[in-house]
Amino acid sequence: MEFAANITLAALLQQVLVGLSRTTILFIVASGLSLVLGVLRIPNVAHGSLYMIGAFCTYTVATLFGQSTLGFWLALIIAPLIVALISFIVERGLFCHLYEREHLMLLLFTFSFTLVFGDLVKLVWGSDYRSLTPPAFLMGFITISDLPFPKYNLFLLVVGPLVAAGLWFLTQKTKIGKIARAAAVDREMVGAIGINVNLVFAAVFVIGCYLAGLGGALVAPTQNITQGMDHAIIIEAFLIVIIGGLGNIWGALLGALIFGLTDSIGILVWPQFAIVFPYVAVVLVLLFRPKGLLKSTW
Amino acid sequence: MKTFAWFCIALAMTLVLITAPAQAAKAFKIGIVDCYSGPPAAYTNDVRDAFKLEVDKINAAGGILGRKVEVLTRDSKFKVDIGLSAAKELIYRENVDILMGTINSALALAISDMCRKEKVPFFVTFSKSAKITGAKGHRYVFSITENTALAGKAGAQGLAKRPYKKYWIAGDDYEYGHAIADGVWNNLQKIKPGVELLGQSWWKVGEPDFTPYITAILSAKPDAVIVATGGRDCVPFLKAAKATGFNERIPFFMHTATELSTLKPLGLNAPEGVIGTSNYFFYYPETAANKHFVKNFEAVYNRKPAVGAVYGFLAARYIFGAYQKAGVIDTEKFIDNVEGMWVDSPVGKVTMRAYDHQAMLPMFMGVTQKAAGYDFLIAKDIVTIPGEDVMPTIEEIKKARMK
Amino acid sequence: MFKALFSTKTTVIGILLLGIFLLLPQFLSRFYIYLLALIFATGLLATSLNLVLGFGGMYQFHHAVFYGLGAYALALFATKSGLPLWAGYILAPVCSAALGLALGLITVRLSKLYFGMLQISLGSLVWAIVYRWYSFTGGDDGIHGIPVPDLIGSSTGAYYFNLIITGACLLLMYLIVNSPFGRVFQGIRDNPERCLAVGINVRSQQLVGQTVAAFFAGVAGTLFVTVEGSVFPDLMFWTLSLEILIMCLLGGWFIFMGPMLGATIMVTLRTFVGIYTEYWTLVLGIVLMLLIFFMPEGVLGLVIHRTESKEPAAREAG
Repeated sequence: MEFAANITLAALLQQVLVGLSRTTILFIVASGLSLVLGVLRIPNVAHGSLYMIGAFCTYTVATLFGQSTLGFWLALIIAPLIVALISFIVERGLFCHLYEREHLMLLLFTFSFTLVFGDLVKLVWGSDYRSLTPPAFLMGFITISDLPFPKYNLFLLVVGPLVAAGLWFLTQKTKIGKIARAAAVDREMVGAIGINVNLVFAAVFVIGCYLAGLGGALVAPTQNITQGMDHAIIIEAFLIVIIGGLGNIWGALLGALIFGLTDSIGILVWPQFAIVFPYVAVVLVLLFRPKGLLKSTW
Repeated sequence: MKTFAWFCIALAMTLVLITAPAQAAKAFKIGIVDCYSGPPAAYTNDVRDAFKLEVDKINAAGGILGRKVEVLTRDSKFKVDIGLSAAKELIYRENVDILMGTINSALALAISDMCRKEKVPFFVTFSKSAKITGAKGHRYVFSITENTALAGKAGAQGLAKRPYKKYWIAGDDYEYGHAIADGVWNNLQKIKPGVELLGQSWWKVGEPDFTPYITAILSAKPDAVIVATGGRDCVPFLKAAKATGFNERIPFFMHTATELSTLKPLGLNAPEGVIGTSNYFFYYPETAANKHFVKNFEAVYNRKPAVGAVYGFLAARYIFGAYQKAGVIDTEKFIDNVEGMWVDSPVGKVTMRAYDHQAMLPMFMGVTQKAAGYDFLIAKDIVTIPGEDVMPTIEEIKKARMK
Repeated sequence: MFKALFSTKTTVIGILLLGIFLLLPQFLSRFYIYLLALIFATGLLATSLNLVLGFGGMYQFHHAVFYGLGAYALALFATKSGLPLWAGYILAPVCSAALGLALGLITVRLSKLYFGMLQISLGSLVWAIVYRWYSFTGGDDGIHGIPVPDLIGSSTGAYYFNLIITGACLLLMYLIVNSPFGRVFQGIRDNPERCLAVGINVRSQQLVGQTVAAFFAGVAGTLFVTVEGSVFPDLMFWTLSLEILIMCLLGGWFIFMGPMLGATIMVTLRTFVGIYTEYWTLVLGIVLMLLIFFMPEGVLGLVIHRTESKEPAAREAG
């Protein structure tokens, strides 16, 4: 049981910043899941698979353009759209027939997708590692009080709030956002006033999956792109959504913050057990606020 | 209840009617259980591919003692229960004569134990646990790959020659990580008593972001770091090292850092100056045997062989060589002939030590650097450490097996 | 009570089935005997999950942790303590039940999805402890070569041992489900508010259910050790929990024998498709999808619906 030495203010600041950049990815993925779970009530365990597909597509598109800056931006735009397209096809073709089923059956159905997507990724991309390098202007690091902070993490720190702002605008200020929020609470009523609920659901599903793809695209230059990415992210995403409040975007942000920061600060303070800090946080939250920290739509 | 009964009867009948493996009765079967999905596949594919090349050669020359060789592979998906079931299926149903595998240490140990009971020879092809030929070794298991004890000793020998005194240990928090770190550190302390350990950092396997750990290490200012990452985290860690400039500030040693499977995915963006050990390079030594091996492999598979290919090659040479020497397909005679046997390989002559069934592979220590003509980094300043120099003594093995 | 629960027809069929299973090893090759022994253990595990899932309506998302603990407990008792093996077989399920009680005390305050997620978090903590504690549990290497005597450790021995224990446990669980406690338990699944209104302590009933389910999962864990002779941390990982859940849903989760069938299907598919292709998870996924579309009540559910038009199957309210 060793506490790490050198807990200077500089190191702490560093860890907070690193935690925040991890929060960005977690938030983007979790908010997508929160939308799908909160509005459509589908426990989509294939959300992680879509994240993985987003990362692989990003690799392919970026490599097509020689992993240049242009390639990077194109990949960031195209890869999540590909994921959104896949989810649209799946939703129109299969999911829309199953909305009336039990939750557990929907869970089973999305689970079968993780199996299928997992092997499809292996078929298409093979089983080698893929490694994507960040574009030139984001390579390297800046130095904060003599400690390096990778420029790509800085990029994530900027992207996170942008996506959050975009989502807020979408859900609060646009018509479709307002309809979706209403449908989450009472779908029959929304249908009764003449709105095509199915179309709304399709839109929400596609947006949620787009976010999963976006998360995968953003994380691609920092990690190994491999099979198994889906398993790693899905538990974290579900836990964040639960502690944040189902269907609540700000809740997803709060949950992601808790996860990202407890992990990175834990590494500094108590490295042996940093892995359990997020789970302990989840347990504590659920014991004191069983329905999540913020209001949920269920 | 009635319907369930019908299902049971139908199932039982189907099971009974399923034909036994419809293969030629006289084929010589070799089963390989390994993980062919996800990151480990990058390593395991080479083992299977090189092995199959040798099998094709043997079959073209008439098979082994007149019998055609058949290779059956099963994917464990890195899950121990699936792999164990697959191994049992290969032994009970397919009646394989030899079993090979796997990169997952828990599975390798489980299969090793099963093969001991079933008296089927098991060749371990990638798992680096020292327990396989050490504490849990027995007559029916062989290892044709290095393990953490050997790699640790080799790493220590290489590091002792360098001027570093204050060390930091960092790595994956699982058995392999701790074993290799202990292997390097304990041996280093014996060779160079003045070295000092400033501290340790351990992260979970599959850690997404190494930056916080790297900054913690930089704050401590050691002379060098021993990085104990397993196959999965080598590439991401090297990536993080490059992204934070870690390798330019503090030199670090990582077992398998210089291997092709590790450096190829990173291309020209891998960090330079990383000290690594490996069992094989396709570009060194530039012997006729190695060049020939690389040429043959590349001709069929269109890629350069990585270290797994040598393991597959060695397995084939030992298996077929020993049966040839024995002159008969008999397990006990086979084992007697493998013990102490040496084979020619792309890395030179490799002997299988009789006492613990461990192949004595040489270790190559080098430093990563860019080189003309390659779009990935290669190892330079390579030092060869012969296998015999890093083997644990027979006394140590005896002691470990007593416990 | 026995007469009331089992009609003559069911008893005769049951005895016939038992007879067939007792004689099967004479006709089957070694691999199928091993596979069936494994199916018995897995089926018992799935049925124990269904006690709380199908009959209790609880979203038990991390049931594997009790199974893994039972297996590890037996492994540790057999290799580290001086106790005789049979003591290990009895103590291991008790340990699982204790863990079920401990976790249950924390988790039953919540319901549905929140209950499941809290259980996953707590279960993951247990897994992390086992994974890290190398000196005691063998860490990620696991424990191998567990000394099970040939009488029950050999292929045929394990088959009969697992068959008898599984059969006995299934009988016990069936009795529990149809006991007064079981009826109240199912009532809680169907309408928790009404049960509360008539004075039933929902939380403590669920806690008892949890403990019992954990006990039988622990038994399943010991059966696994009997067949395989090894334990490893995968046995308590959340992916296994999800698989057992799938087995229950697949076979029919409001029918007693459904999970057993689901386990059989999963293990068989996995083994035999795996022989022909390394993409067997793709095949499994497609099969599952087809089943969900065309057999929403699980395989057994569909068959029962078609052949018997009697009692309406109890469903969980959405």
